[in-house]
Amino acid sequence: MAATKITALALNGVSKSYGKVRALAGLSFEVAEGRFFALFGPSSVGKTTTLRAIAGLVQPDAGSIRIGGADVTHAPIKGRGVSMVFQSFALYPHLTVANNLAYPLVEEGVDKSEIAKRVKETADMLRLSHRLERKPSTLSGGEQQRVALGRSLIRRPKILLLDEPLTNLDAKLRHEMRAELKRLHRQFGMTIVYATPDELEALSMGEEIAVMRDGRVVQIGTPDELFDHPSDLYVAAKIGSPHMNTIQVKVGSDGNSLETPFGSVPAPRIIGGLSAGEALVLGVRPSDLRLAQGAAASLAPSVQQLEPLGDVTVVSLTASGQQLRIVLPEAQAIGMKTGDAVPIVIDPTKLHLFRGRDGLALSRQS
Amino acid sequence: MADIITKTPIWEKLGFRKASGVSEAGWGHTALAAIVSLIYFFPVLVIIITSFKLQTDALAVPAKLFPTSLFGLLPESMTFKPTLENFTSVFSRAFTNGGAVENTGFDRFFFNSLFIAGTSVLLALVIGTLAAFGFSRYPLKGNDTYLFIILTTRMLPAVVVIIPVMLMLRVVGLSGSYLGIILLYTAFNLPFTIWMMKSFFDELSPDVEDAARIDGSSDRRVFFKICLPQVLAGLAATFVFGIILTWNEFLFALLLSSVDTRTVPVAMSQAVSGGGIGVLWGLLAAIETLFLIPVFLVTFFMQNQLLRGVTFGTVKR
Repeated sequence: MAATKITALALNGVSKSYGKVRALAGLSFEVAEGRFFALFGPSSVGKTTTLRAIAGLVQPDAGSIRIGGADVTHAPIKGRGVSMVFQSFALYPHLTVANNLAYPLVEEGVDKSEIAKRVKETADMLRLSHRLERKPSTLSGGEQQRVALGRSLIRRPKILLLDEPLTNLDAKLRHEMRAELKRLHRQFGMTIVYATPDELEALSMGEEIAVMRDGRVVQIGTPDELFDHPSDLYVAAKIGSPHMNTIQVKVGSDGNSLETPFGSVPAPRIIGGLSAGEALVLGVRPSDLRLAQGAAASLAPSVQQLEPLGDVTVVSLTASGQQLRIVLPEAQAIGMKTGDAVPIVIDPTKLHLFRGRDGLALSRQS
Repeated sequence: MADIITKTPIWEKLGFRKASGVSEAGWGHTALAAIVSLIYFFPVLVIIITSFKLQTDALAVPAKLFPTSLFGLLPESMTFKPTLENFTSVFSRAFTNGGAVENTGFDRFFFNSLFIAGTSVLLALVIGTLAAFGFSRYPLKGNDTYLFIILTTRMLPAVVVIIPVMLMLRVVGLSGSYLGIILLYTAFNLPFTIWMMKSFFDELSPDVEDAARIDGSSDRRVFFKICLPQVLAGLAATFVFGIILTWNEFLFALLLSSVDTRTVPVAMSQAVSGGGIGVLWGLLAAIETLFLIPVFLVTFFMQNQLLRGVTFGTVKR
């Protein structure tokens, strides 16, 4: 995919409060044209307010919003070239599917024959042709979703905002719609801003992901960047399933080892070095732990719980009250029982270290 | 996939809708419901029957309830011979001691009732719907206080309110005029119109309106193209309740209408008293039967709207 350098959307220091509640607190990010950009964070973190500000439904208290280079912070909604799919779908309940699809074009003053043509095209593309004369309430959830998408796509927006569009669908439909959304993005190449509380959706669809917390962006990056180099404990805990193991550790007296409840492990080389006795948080992904073959075990906690997931098994281990999860291929987990001691090897190159004080990641020497 | 086409039975077309997914009650329940509704309907039924009786039949005790003997099945004492005489004498009467046939003025009174009730309810609906939308979507500081104040005029018995109202109308010179009584009834209908319509607007999903704004609609278009069509059932319900209340209103009409603007309830009370030969029950019943027809029709043809309520299938909450 050819990455263009043109910035389609830029938010700079956008803040918004509702009474005493601070929804957005100096939010900034840029989205390159044609990018599938995911806004990821738990509910009430400001994702919806962000989208509404971009669409023009919400006026920011401070900061600026630029679309295609033009400042639209206080511009009217009409003319921004932005369309939006709501979590509730927000279809017009009194209009047929055809009229729902046609609505944005009617409001734009497009002439009738062109509207009919585009409605037909859109309906064909979204497999809605047999539903055109129905009212939205008689459609299934997936069909309603496709109507909402069609209504947003029909006037070919520069930017498409999607506010948790899959939350109201069942698991199977969600899977299908993820593929469908990716296909539509490839087909039309418009810029998409996709708000979701679902890590899997963000990682599988977002070319770039902004992790949000308390009305701000904590980290922006590709899925790999977020996974491999989380900027702090918050991001580390949000990205990756099962979640990263976090363990309170102390730097050993030599400054080169970490004392964990499971035993001592060699410390990775950190820029600026480590001071002896410093309290840190050690992060290690469950998939980065391996069973020790032979005598080289760094740790030997005991099995607390087994979760077989088919091809892999998630094993929860415990030692000195600390929990540690490890993902094993199914074959290796066969025969394990609760209470068994399991020898574990930690690869020092796969460790993440965070400052105990504020959770910020420590950069490793490369 | 072909849609399943079901034939709509005639009774469903007439407005007797069966709720889907609910099985019909058995005969026992149905019979019980029929008896209870007959008790409810009985006074109206007696009036309708009486309107077809001559004065002698109307005064008979026990009441004669059947217009036919069913080929001799029922005894003479229970049946009467139906007549349309009462209905003709609603509009014109001939004096028994000779003289020209005289117009009773009831054609005018019926027109007055239709005109005054119809205009004022529609006016209240227009003003009230706009006001309700304002209260719902553009709340003022102290919104609830205003809504409360609007309702205070209906918290007192009409008798108490009517004296200041009479004086107000007299001062501005509208007493006894169409404009005066229409404005009065509009004001009389506004509180509950606003309250009802506000509750319907409050039920609508704000997301749908935001979607329309993003799709390029102005606030005015959002109101007319998106909000109003969704509350049609509410408009119909409010209209019917307004018509029933206004149509039957007596006290204000009695004190504030003149001869020209008199409505049927007032005229009815005057037509039956006086004359010195007691109450003409047949005539009274005929007026009442005719008076019943317009509201009956309005309610009957709008009952689908009344029952339907507003459906929100497209918005999951």
